Amino acid sequence: MLLAAEAAKPYLGVFAEGKFAQFVLMLVFAFIVWFMVTRAKAGMKVPEIRKINGLEALDEAIGRATEMGRPVHFTPGLGGVGNPMTFAAFGFLGYVAKLCAKYDTRLIQTNADYVVLAINEEIIRQAYLEAGRPDAFNSDDVQFMSDQQFAYAANVMNMFQKDKPAANIMMGAFWAESLIFAETASFVGAIQIAGTAATAQLPFFITACDYTLIGEEIYAASAYLSKEPVLYGSLVGQDWAKIFVFALILVGTVIANFQAKGNWLTSILKK
Amino acid sequence: MRKELPMILTVLSGLVVIFSRYFHYGMQLGLMDTLDKWYLVSSSFAILLGIVNLVKIHWGYIRRRKEGWWNSIVLLLCLFGYGILTVQQTVDGPQAAWIFNNIITPGDSTMFALIAFFIASAAYRAFRVRTKEATVLLVAAVIVLLGKAPIGDALINGWGNVADWILKVPNTGGFRAIIIGAAVGAFATGFRILLGLERAHLGGSGTK
Repeated sequence: MLLAAEAAKPYLGVFAEGKFAQFVLMLVFAFIVWFMVTRAKAGMKVPEIRKINGLEALDEAIGRATEMGRPVHFTPGLGGVGNPMTFAAFGFLGYVAKLCAKYDTRLIQTNADYVVLAINEEIIRQAYLEAGRPDAFNSDDVQFMSDQQFAYAANVMNMFQKDKPAANIMMGAFWAESLIFAETASFVGAIQIAGTAATAQLPFFITACDYTLIGEEIYAASAYLSKEPVLYGSLVGQDWAKIFVFALILVGTVIANFQAKGNWLTSILKK
Repeated sequence: MRKELPMILTVLSGLVVIFSRYFHYGMQLGLMDTLDKWYLVSSSFAILLGIVNLVKIHWGYIRRRKEGWWNSIVLLLCLFGYGILTVQQTVDGPQAAWIFNNIITPGDSTMFALIAFFIASAAYRAFRVRTKEATVLLVAAVIVLLGKAPIGDALINGWGNVADWILKVPNTGGFRAIIIGAAVGAFATGFRILLGLERAHLGGSGTK
């Protein structure tokens, strides 16, 4: 009983056990991103960010589908709204839908999650509205197929064979169905742009797709595509936060190699 | 107000999660559990959206006699038939369980097995030595493939160790770098949403 009471004791009287360092790190990251956003808002120069080929290719892929008179397919994978990768996919979808509306190209959007379905339908509807083509929006092309992984995969395979999309865009959280999608789309000759932070699926996308956004690149999408300096600023902040983590790893590695007993950095990070 | 209200709810939910995840009293209040329950209840209603979407689309296929429309009849029959059956006898009932174990599970396994063939065709394309990167990929793949099979060590003693080193050192290092980058990216996205800079989930082009 006494041990349980000791374990539940708050750190510094406020923080949950083992969460203090995490909270401080979160504040540091938030400060870095906020600092860059504020600089951008004030009109100060924001460093350039590197070109992301997969995002640059979106226009090319949709343009190709338009020229061929074939549809574009977009899937956010199997993730639900609780998955950050699905949130990243929303940004892509808005951009893709707007381009499809502009070029009058059919967009087929398939879903494996009914909550994501509702959000995606709203994103596409709004994008068509913003493009001045609300009449071109077809709610039948925003489809819920199944929440079962392989039933969804089978359905998407069938759609690829039937509708033969000229561009296949896969952004979000994927599991074993990733290669089924990528290979089937490849068989029908679709140009493919994929992106995920699921490391187990990245090799499949890299081998089977024309462009692959790796890990953090998918989270940069909506900011990158918007071309807004303020959002660019947040991306630069993201890169600085990564440099901070890299420095932390470097210091930790040096300490782990030279300090024989205990690692003070690890002890601090566990607080 | 159409976009402001969801935005306010998003920011409030984010703050509640931060409070209940990092602070002692937040954890004791169990606000995360309450939020999880709310999500579960509200997402359960969304099942209806999925069913309505399926019925609307496939009923349209049947009505218009679109190519393969009879598949839509089978789908709707299965959807409502299995739904009624499970309401009547729960998912553990004899017929419902039989259908699941003898039709759905083998179907899933069949789809999963297809991946083996897709891996072969994707690997064939990836391993065509055209660029320096493809050459590195091919060499690493051959070393790991032979190292993980008994033939590797039979050919050259210690081949398996080389394969293990590739998997444990450069491969794990690369994957961890991706995971760290993705975690920072996810954080930055979350922060942009909390600041109201990113609004993709509210529809449209997604930014303020």
